[in-house]
Amino acid sequence: MSEAEILHEYSILDRSKKDPKAFGELYEKYFDRIFSFIYRQTDDEDLTADLSSQTFLTALKNVDRYEFRGVPFSAWLYKIASNEVNKHYRKKKRTQVFSIEETRVRELMEQANEGYDEEMIQRLMEFLKELPTDMLRVLELRFFEDKDFKEIAFILDITESGAKMRTYRAMDRLRKNFKLRIKYDGKE
Amino acid sequence: MGRNEIRLRRHRISSGRIAQHRNYGDIMARHERDQKIRRIARTFTYFVIILIVILMFYVVRVWERKQDKPKGTTAYVEESQGPSADSRQPTAISYGMLIN
Repeated sequence: MSEAEILHEYSILDRSKKDPKAFGELYEKYFDRIFSFIYRQTDDEDLTADLSSQTFLTALKNVDRYEFRGVPFSAWLYKIASNEVNKHYRKKKRTQVFSIEETRVRELMEQANEGYDEEMIQRLMEFLKELPTDMLRVLELRFFEDKDFKEIAFILDITESGAKMRTYRAMDRLRKNFKLRIKYDGKE
Repeated sequence: MGRNEIRLRRHRISSGRIAQHRNYGDIMARHERDQKIRRIARTFTYFVIILIVILMFYVVRVWERKQDKPKGTTAYVEESQGPSADSRQPTAISYGMLIN
């Protein structure tokens, strides 16, 4: 985001503190991204719609308390969305679902210069099933939402080094299991 | 950390389908409703606190009044006596008031 865009966003936030209608602009801007993020963790359209509404409602209710913490405003929305998803799974006591797009998996495999076939995909799904949930969340934010480690740490309420460690451990296990040459894109 | 369920989706969810769920009007309405409930709850809480304070004030006042008011009188009979060998024996009666 450019500096002008960032300043524009903060002016909207300032106005939203007095007038909830002003927050609508941020709602329109981020709704799709938040929806996709939540959908990837539920695979249920109606549930995703509920949780997305709840995310923006919580954000609007707490807009007075929003403070810049060195990460974009969108990271705050992702944090609220992540908490809403966690609350849902804790309440329902169900196993967390991760629903990932095949196109994105294919892109990542191609980046690793690996062939893409059904067998490899099935093995990858089995491998991902066995990873701890907190590791999957970091991977999802890193490779499907293109978040940097600072944002991931903020969203998941962990340290930046914790976010990096979880990613590198998952990548190590992937390399050993699949003998992949995973490139680290250096994006920090 | 237990096992997770991983599902592979062939297609991304389309922006058209996402747009069907977009409804800022609903968010605003819910937000205003929540604000109204919070305002009512806050007003009610203040009212209850004030009521409790008034009640406590009243109770203290009543207790203080009870402390100030005389509790009652006790009559005793005292018999005055003339000169006699036994000064303990009364010879006349007078009434005294003993105030507690």
